[in-house]
Amino acid sequence: MSAVNLAFRSIAVRHETTLRSLAGTIVAVALTLGVIAAVLAGLGANPWSAARGLVSGALGNRFNIGQTVMIASLLILTGLAAAIPFSARLWNIGAEGQMYFGAFVVAGLGLTLPSDMSRWLLCSILVLASLVAGAVWALVPGVLKATINANEVIVSLMMTFIALEVADYGITALWPQPAAPQTRYLPVNATFPSIWTGTLVTAGAPLALAAVIVAWVVMRRSGLGFEIRAIGLNSRAAQMNGMRVGRVTIVAFAMGGAFAGLAGAINVLGMNNALVSGFSGNFGYLGIAVALLARLDPTWIIPSAVLFAILRVGSNGLQVQTGLSPDVGEIVVATFVILLLVFKVIRLRYAEAQSV
Amino acid sequence: MPHAARDPGAVTTPAGGGSPGTIELRRITKTFGATVANYEVDFDLRPGEIHALLGENGAGKTTLMSILFGLVTPDEGEILIGGEPVVFDSPHDALQRGIGMVHQHFMLVPKFTVAENVVLGSVSPWNTRLRRSAIERDVAEASERFGMAIDPSRRVRDLPIDVQQRVEILKLLYRGATALILDEPTSTLGPAQIDTLFGILRDLRESGHAVVIVTHKLGEVMQIADRVTVLKGGRKTVTVERGAFDEHSLALAMTGRELQELPPRSHVAGDQPLLDVRDLRISDRRGHGVVDGVSFSVRAGEILGVAGVEGNGQRELVDALAGILHPSEGQVLLDGADVTTATPAARHDHGLSAIPEDRQGWGLVLDMTIAENLALAGVSAGEYTRYGLLRRRAIRAHARTLLEQYDVRPADPDLRVASLSGGNQQKVVLARELGRDPKVVIAAQPTQGLDVGAADFVQRSLLDVRERGGAVVLVSNDLDELLKLSDSLIVLYRGRINYQASVASVSLSGVALAMAGNQTSAPVAEVA
Repeated sequence: MSAVNLAFRSIAVRHETTLRSLAGTIVAVALTLGVIAAVLAGLGANPWSAARGLVSGALGNRFNIGQTVMIASLLILTGLAAAIPFSARLWNIGAEGQMYFGAFVVAGLGLTLPSDMSRWLLCSILVLASLVAGAVWALVPGVLKATINANEVIVSLMMTFIALEVADYGITALWPQPAAPQTRYLPVNATFPSIWTGTLVTAGAPLALAAVIVAWVVMRRSGLGFEIRAIGLNSRAAQMNGMRVGRVTIVAFAMGGAFAGLAGAINVLGMNNALVSGFSGNFGYLGIAVALLARLDPTWIIPSAVLFAILRVGSNGLQVQTGLSPDVGEIVVATFVILLLVFKVIRLRYAEAQSV
Repeated sequence: MPHAARDPGAVTTPAGGGSPGTIELRRITKTFGATVANYEVDFDLRPGEIHALLGENGAGKTTLMSILFGLVTPDEGEILIGGEPVVFDSPHDALQRGIGMVHQHFMLVPKFTVAENVVLGSVSPWNTRLRRSAIERDVAEASERFGMAIDPSRRVRDLPIDVQQRVEILKLLYRGATALILDEPTSTLGPAQIDTLFGILRDLRESGHAVVIVTHKLGEVMQIADRVTVLKGGRKTVTVERGAFDEHSLALAMTGRELQELPPRSHVAGDQPLLDVRDLRISDRRGHGVVDGVSFSVRAGEILGVAGVEGNGQRELVDALAGILHPSEGQVLLDGADVTTATPAARHDHGLSAIPEDRQGWGLVLDMTIAENLALAGVSAGEYTRYGLLRRRAIRAHARTLLEQYDVRPADPDLRVASLSGGNQQKVVLARELGRDPKVVIAAQPTQGLDVGAADFVQRSLLDVRERGGAVVLVSNDLDELLKLSDSLIVLYRGRINYQASVASVSLSGVALAMAGNQTSAPVAEVA
């Protein structure tokens, strides 16, 4: 976790050096793209046409933009799911599982609740249920951390494996769709309405933006967020000043889990209209990278998530343009994440050297 | 054998090919951002001398020594050894030339034995023929040769702090260091241990080693130094030979001013005990009693001083009073209310404030603003929130008032606390803790590491609490400070009260003996 720890400490120096660090981020992103271009060239592709393929794949037309918007929405939420516990120095790396459990609960409720309710009411119930489900899943590592100081990295990761099995149980045993690795389709009343014709963009996207606003208010304007930040920056001083660290630990995990659960709801209700096996292309884990690139700042999570969504969605176009294997897209994203962390560590070391 | 012992006895040929001779720092300048840590400082160190580097905190002592042992590269100036210019890129380079540093916080691996710690880093990782017995024999030889009796097979974590310090010194000598820099070497030692250390240093001087002790304690300089260099505000004020300095002239050179007397204290302690500690016992993880049956009470308008060599239960006592450590037995009463197991928040409600020893580790959130730090306790008590949202205007207004009252500079509530000097950081802690008008204040090492002006402010603030009828528990390593401020004094030794007296009737030799564990000459007397 030392890279994460170092990355975390970079948040500390934010206040004074926002401009310089913003410039630093841009340089890091540019250098990263340069390295990726070199890798692509090494694989025998023309980096320029690869880039064109990537951009047009992600943003080339209305439909593609819509895809990018929906993937970005998921990444915003899993990014928040990482960022809020991370702000309290709690390493929630189980957003993937919290998202799957949210999706499982939403799919089950959507298929069993009476579908003659109004769409508005039914969707609201399902959204609330996803928040609760994600929070409950995240409560396990949170409560264990707060009570017996169990390592939250391990517990949240293990909970992810359980959630994946639970979701598969729903798909194969409870509500199976014959001859397909997914549940039955949800009734129309239980799905999000489309909000942009000609695309697959649904009401899930504005929900993700609303989540950012909620997260920003909590983190920057509420007493709870103040306590989360204080505990993250110095839990001993927080404790000394009367803060209940255990309670805040649990709440921070629950909040993170709720956002991840909502990501599950958006996938089921607003993208696939069913719980699909393996629906997440590691969005839960990618959320960690989204959060770190955004320096855990809720507002910066939006551009950060959009960037990752472009890379993800655009990799289809990249394949078409370059004729490389579909795995290249994954390689590009992975290279991007690793290099960003490397640059972050380098800059941090540099900043430390300056301030000895 | 690569780990073979160095030539015994006097310094002739330091290992690694360094040449013996005078080490000189010439016109060293080093800046960090806008801060000038050293400006054109000259310093030289001769073989066979003990050279004290004296200065207040922030005077640039640490930077200068970091340059000497290769951790920091100077912006300008040069280092010469025996007249020949050298460049150090790392502490390893400096050690190759025979220069080593003993840090205030030891760089030892607690789980390793003494011998393993000593050879750590000087043995090639590819050497597979190492024998534990050979290493231990080697280290035992070296420890004897340098007049330090250390059992090389003991684990470092089981050794008392003064022996750990000797291991650090031995480690450097073993690697051939001929010039030793000791950073505040006495800060964690008691009077008897200091004597032992100074004996070792004198022996090293006799054998031709050069020793720098970095300190701000004048008494030690008078006791041991052959020469003194005084730094003030990053510049060298003077270098003087023994015989040409006394405490008074050094104090003046160090601070640039004479100190004012503290105000006379009126007010006699009332009868009512505000803090009552009864038979307090605290066990560490291994079940040893680190606080072992301590009882005392502090009345309104009284300052109780707690003396003792570091590590005799003071820290645990303070933690138990502050509520971050629960005692295994005993009671703590705050103004009559039993708070033995109460949370820090509940103790605040009963009028307790705590000034923690480690202000950066426990007192402040360095990466939050001054205003946020001043609001820490208030936010957790729900004072600064409405419907769960922060009342940011109230937080800043409160901060402005306190900043002015406690003379924090710069008085900008939006500044990060990390950017303040040590003294001003401590003032922020004081402002938060004393600003809520507490009945009982626990102050642990409140002036440690502060410059004279800030220390003075802290002391006046504590006296002010006393004048207003508060009770203060003052834990300090600085005996002068305790005698100056306290109404009564206790000495902790191995978790017990080994000496107790009102300050008016205190005997200095009794306190010193009690700190060293000797009880016979100083019976525990009831405070009048």
